[in-house]
Order: sequence, then C-alpha cells, then structure tokens
Amino acid sequence: MRKSRSKRKSNIHLQQPTINPRDFQFMITKVAVSQICKSVGFRRSRVSALETLTLVATKYLETLVKSAASFSNAASRTQSNILDLTNALHDMSLQVGFMGASTLYDHNNNCLLKSSVLESLSDFVSSTNEIPFAKPIERAKERESEEVNAVPGSFQERGGHIPEWLPRFPDVGGTNENCDKRVNGEQLWENSSSVLGCQIDGFEEKRCGSNNVGKLPKGRSRIKFRVNNGGGTRVGLNGISCNNVFGQSKDEEEAEPVAVCEKSVKSEEKQILVYKRRKKR
Amino acid sequence: MNHNPQSSDGKHDDDSALSDFLASLMDYAPTIPDELVEHYLAKSGFQCPDVRLIRLVAVATQKFVAEVASDALQHCKARQAAVVKDKREKQQKVIYLCLLSFLISFGLSDPLLEQDKRLILTMDDLSKSLREYGVNVKHQEYFADSPST
Repeated sequence: MRKSRSKRKSNIHLQQPTINPRDFQFMITKVAVSQICKSVGFRRSRVSALETLTLVATKYLETLVKSAASFSNAASRTQSNILDLTNALHDMSLQVGFMGASTLYDHNNNCLLKSSVLESLSDFVSSTNEIPFAKPIERAKERESEEVNAVPGSFQERGGHIPEWLPRFPDVGGTNENCDKRVNGEQLWENSSSVLGCQIDGFEEKRCGSNNVGKLPKGRSRIKFRVNNGGGTRVGLNGISCNNVFGQSKDEEEAEPVAVCEKSVKSEEKQILVYKRRKKR
Repeated sequence: MNHNPQSSDGKHDDDSALSDFLASLMDYAPTIPDELVEHYLAKSGFQCPDVRLIRLVAVATQKFVAEVASDALQHCKARQAAVVKDKREKQQKVIYLCLLSFLISFGLSDPLLEQDKRLILTMDDLSKSLREYGVNVKHQEYFADSPST
C-alpha cells in the first residue's frame, strides 16, 4: 500500500535508529492492519487513518482479552478458557448485535458453546483466504535461552526475594498425583474428553467410572445371615465377638456349614462367616 | 442436568463442531502473528496454555478490522458513485468522448472507470464506519500553530 503524497513527509520521523518497544509493536500491528485493509479492497490509505485503525484494533484486542481474564477471575480461576472468551466476545459484540443476544442470560435454553459469535467466526475462517504476515519477526525468545544454565537453587530459579546464602527448599516430592484429581471427578473444561477429541461422551464416562465404585480396594470376608431356632455355641473366629442376637455358629448337622467352616479354616483369604440368629429364651 | 438423549447428542455435536473449528484454526494463519498476540495477552493478564485460543483472539481481531475496513470501503464507494453521477450529468457526451480518445492515445484508460485504483482509506470514511461499532473518532481539520490565526 502506498501512502498518499500529502503525508509522505511523516515517513522521515519513523526511521529513527532507536525505537521504543511500544512503537515497535505498534509498527508491526500497523503492517498487519494494512494487509487486512488491502485484502478488503483498499489500495491506498492516509497515514492518520491507518494509525487510527491500528490503535482501535489494539484497543479491541486488549479489551477483549482483559474482559476474558476478568471473567475467569470472577470464576476463581487464573487461566482463561473458551467460555470466558465467548463471554468476552459477547460483550464486545453487543454494540453491533448478533443472533441470540436477547436471550444471553436465559438459563434454560442457553448454551455458550452454541453462540452465534463463534459460528460467525468459524464462517469467517472457512470463507476468507489466509493472509500470512508480510515480514519476518525477530524472535525475542532466542535471547532468553542463554540463561538456561542456572545453578539449581540460585537466583534464576528461586527469584530475587530469597537470598542465595539460604539453603534450598526441601524436596517435597514435586506435585502430588493425588492433588490433581478432584473428589467428584470434576475437571476443567479444556481437559474434558469432548475437547481432547475423544469420542466418549462425558455422560458415558461417568457410567464407566461407576463400575469401580462397587469394588472395594481390599477384599473382605463374605457374610451370610441365617435365622435359627436352636442356639449354638458361640464361637469367635479371628477373635471377633458378635452381638447377642446374631451369633456365629458351627452347625455340624448340616453338611454345608461344615464344608464352609472347613474351608474357612483352610483358606486365609475368603472366609464365609455364617451368622445365625438365636432366639431369646 | 438433562438426561434427554437428544440433548446429550446435541451437546456432543456442538462440542465436535467446536473442536473441529478449533482444529481448523491451527491450519489457518491469522494475519496478526502469534508472537504479537501473545505480547498483548501478557500485557493484559490473559493466561492460557492453549494455542488455539490465542489464534481465536487473533482471528476475532482480524474479523473486526476487516468489517470496519469493508464498511469504510462501502462509504468510499458510495461517495464516489455520487460524484460520478454528478459528473456524468454535467458533462456532454461529445466532450467526454474526445477526452476518452485523447487519453487512450496516450495509453491511459478512462479515469471514471478506474475508481477502484483510487480507493483511499480516509478519516471521514473510517470515522463513519467506526461510529457503528461504538468508537467515536473525530479528526481535526487542521492545526493552527499560533493562537492568532
């Protein structure tokens, strides 16, 4: 894009040897915005108009992102997810309007993920051609790689607030795996199976998980209860004393309990304790 | 929660449509480069480990700028169409044809048809289109260097 002749003088001011970081990113954004304008159909632009549009674009981006961050903070999270971003997009688009704006906060029918703003964005992505950025950007990350060779426990690792002559923190074993999972199986939305591309629905996952609920971590002995007329001797197996009403007994008249008791004597793992109810006399 | 099988299927469809969209975002390179967007995100306090959301922000900004620019283009074209209409009414046909032949002999084409080459983004069009988006921009006509003028 060419700048109109009347504003060409201002070019000289821009070519300074030292540029502030703020001006640097502004100039990069100006290149990107001018590329977008060219794709729309403009061939030339006034410098003031282009700079104004760049400023508006940066403010739009910052406002969008700030409101997304505040949405996530309101939900006591530090990291934002797509739901925060969708809410922020809704806030920014209310001036222009979009479908479903009137029923945004209707709890019954509203689903954030079905919002028309996201649909229009996906249409924009599918319909518009890619416009790659015109110039290569110098990567700032290359400078940071020099500081990787830090001594463990030194200034770089712990930060300047801890003096170096203090000993290192004790090793607590890193992140505890148990702390990562919540009690009821709740997870952040972005870690959920539907986003990670897994085909299992969130509803089914609960059912699969419920199979493990019935299984106990440790085997315990099986217990049977029987109602008996006559009383038997009270025997305590493994030193377990029973209630007056329900007592364990070895009934030798019936074959089954005998086998059961023999088994219980032999096998250590599974003992079937037979509880017989004795009538009160 | 709703145990209706239709709604759970619908939710699954929405999730899959959304995850398809996010996957397609990774193929699409937005005009605003990722490093620049990350800089603005860090400046504003937006923390997200997911690259797809960064792309989403870039695409949203790109869409906004494209819409503003296309609205400004419409205003520009509307203004030029009005000007052309006036011109054609005032000019006589003979004079116009002479002018046309004169220009063609020099290798230039009809200036009235070449409006698209002269589409310039000006502050007037920009302020009109930005007003619809809630941004009020007023451009100073001129700056005086001394109070006496």
